Amino acid sequence: MTRHSLSLLLRNEPGALARIVVLFSSRGVDVESLSLAPAEQGDLSRLDVVVELQDGRTVHQLIKQLGRIVDVKNVVDRTHDEALELGA
Amino acid sequence: MDTTGAGALIKALEDVGCEVIFGMPGGAILPAYDPLFDSKIRHVLVRHEQGAGHAAQGYAQATGRVGVCMATSGPGATNLVTPLADAYMDSVPIVAITGQVAKSVIGTDAFQEADIRSITLPITKHSYQVHDPADIPRVIAEAFQLAASGRPGPVLVDLPKDVLATATTYTPPKITVPARPVLSPVQIRNAAQLIGSSKRPVFYVGGGVIRSGAAGELQKLAEKTGIPVVTTLMARGAFPDSHPLHLGMPGMHGTVPAVAALQRADLLIALGTRFDDRVTGLLPEFAPHAAVIHADIDPAEISKNRKADVGIVGDCRDVMAALSAVITRKTDLTDWWNYLGGLLTTYPLGYDWPADGMLAPQYVIERISKLTGPEAIYTAGVGQHQMWAAQYVRYERPGSFINSGGAGTMGFAVPAAMGAQTGAPGRTVWAIDGDGCFQMTNQELATCAAEGIPIKVAIINNGNLGMVRQWQTLFYEGRYSNTRLGTHNRHPDFVKLADALGCVGLRCESKSEVDGTILEAMAVHDRPVVVDFVVGQDAQVWPMVAAGTGNDEIMAARGIRPLFDEEV
Repeated sequence: MTRHSLSLLLRNEPGALARIVVLFSSRGVDVESLSLAPAEQGDLSRLDVVVELQDGRTVHQLIKQLGRIVDVKNVVDRTHDEALELGA
Repeated sequence: MDTTGAGALIKALEDVGCEVIFGMPGGAILPAYDPLFDSKIRHVLVRHEQGAGHAAQGYAQATGRVGVCMATSGPGATNLVTPLADAYMDSVPIVAITGQVAKSVIGTDAFQEADIRSITLPITKHSYQVHDPADIPRVIAEAFQLAASGRPGPVLVDLPKDVLATATTYTPPKITVPARPVLSPVQIRNAAQLIGSSKRPVFYVGGGVIRSGAAGELQKLAEKTGIPVVTTLMARGAFPDSHPLHLGMPGMHGTVPAVAALQRADLLIALGTRFDDRVTGLLPEFAPHAAVIHADIDPAEISKNRKADVGIVGDCRDVMAALSAVITRKTDLTDWWNYLGGLLTTYPLGYDWPADGMLAPQYVIERISKLTGPEAIYTAGVGQHQMWAAQYVRYERPGSFINSGGAGTMGFAVPAAMGAQTGAPGRTVWAIDGDGCFQMTNQELATCAAEGIPIKVAIINNGNLGMVRQWQTLFYEGRYSNTRLGTHNRHPDFVKLADALGCVGLRCESKSEVDGTILEAMAVHDRPVVVDFVVGQDAQVWPMVAAGTGNDEIMAARGIRPLFDEEV
């Protein structure tokens, strides 16, 4: 298992969160924590999520799969930033 | 224009170029059927919503346009789930329109309420539930555009009954053509370099080449480079079977030369394909010596199952045109072709006649192909007959083979043929079906008879769930648990059933009758024909790579492992 911290910008549309959560469950992604809040820009929401991936699955793959969701505007891998914040 | 939500729906469908809807009315969708009555859009009234969904898929694949199916809320909508899953797996552009209970009662377990949008979340590209009738034209235009653009796929539009019934003003939707991804010149150059320096390259061609209309570009590029081509189950027809550079289909039931080419290659040029487990076999043992160029319009496919050395995000047509422009010389592939030529001579596709003297199913399919020709459209269900249809029909053009590859949906053939014939009324359409599959969806033959859709159905009737039986023979010591259907004992009698459904029913039980029966079926143009080809139950699909083993263990026939034993 590998641990990753992702930050997503979503369109504030009904079902947007469900699409992301369903993608996690159908692709076997473990969610460790998840928080959703209005983003400062436009009609968007920001989703911060920490996930664990099965061996052999890459975070790049997950980012591309999330990017296919029409309501997802942007996905950033913040794993490295988070490590810096924690002083790791 | 003053209208209702329902009027706006039908007007929007007309404006985006929809010419036919496969569907069935019911309570919640009822308002939409009233303006449809006056529309120029043809409505094909199916007998089961699953038939509507697969018909939309068949239509889309035969025409290259977006297929449309429509159903009411609750069970009507849930009956579309299998076609949506199927279209998602095989990247087929369809739009499903479903009725929904009125907004005020959504979430109250109202009569015929099902949360179809949530149910279909993992199997649609996108979905909408419209709450304001003024949004309908925009949503329909977006749904069509999303279904057809990028990697095609299914889109669901869920319409609450009150939204359909409410007055609104129709504003014509803005129809935009999305830009295709811009290719990376660096990746194209890297790919061209790999191609130039490879000694044993193969074009590994998938369904994306058909979806992008790139068959012409593929032929140009293959002829320019002299590189051998393999076409997956979804790509049959993307490259002519008669072409000397074609090695056939790779995968679990692929030809020995196609499988060997991938296994012995030093370079795979993978185009619009997704390294499906049915092609790769045991992944760590797949194409062990090959570098990989992977071109796909969906970035999420690149390096999903097999790491790409060069990944190119783009439309296959653009990718091949770009490669053609930078590749100038033909590399010397003499040694490679000597090896492959040897395999083509030693291991052609072939079959034995059943020991019990019954018809060989492969022969029936071979003769249908020979007597009907490559201008026809062939559909298949799932199982042995599907593999034989992939192996023994000679495909010469894209869009001529329509089957359920990724999802493996039994019962796909008849409704898909209905949709294909609707979209291509000038072509002969043969549904090559199994006796198991046929019993899942044959009710649509009543639709075909009533609507004048003269498809031809060849039931390859081996009396069993043949593919499962084959696995029981090979892997379960011949313990035939629940695979015998009784269809050899005429449970049901397919000729009588065909007759009852308003079709011509024919039966063929011996080799000498095969050509005559096919020609008799070909002579019927005013209604559907069903031919019950009674074939031996022990015929098996070969070659075969057993599930969970590496492709080197391909068996040309039972016990014959050409690659396993060879010294390379």
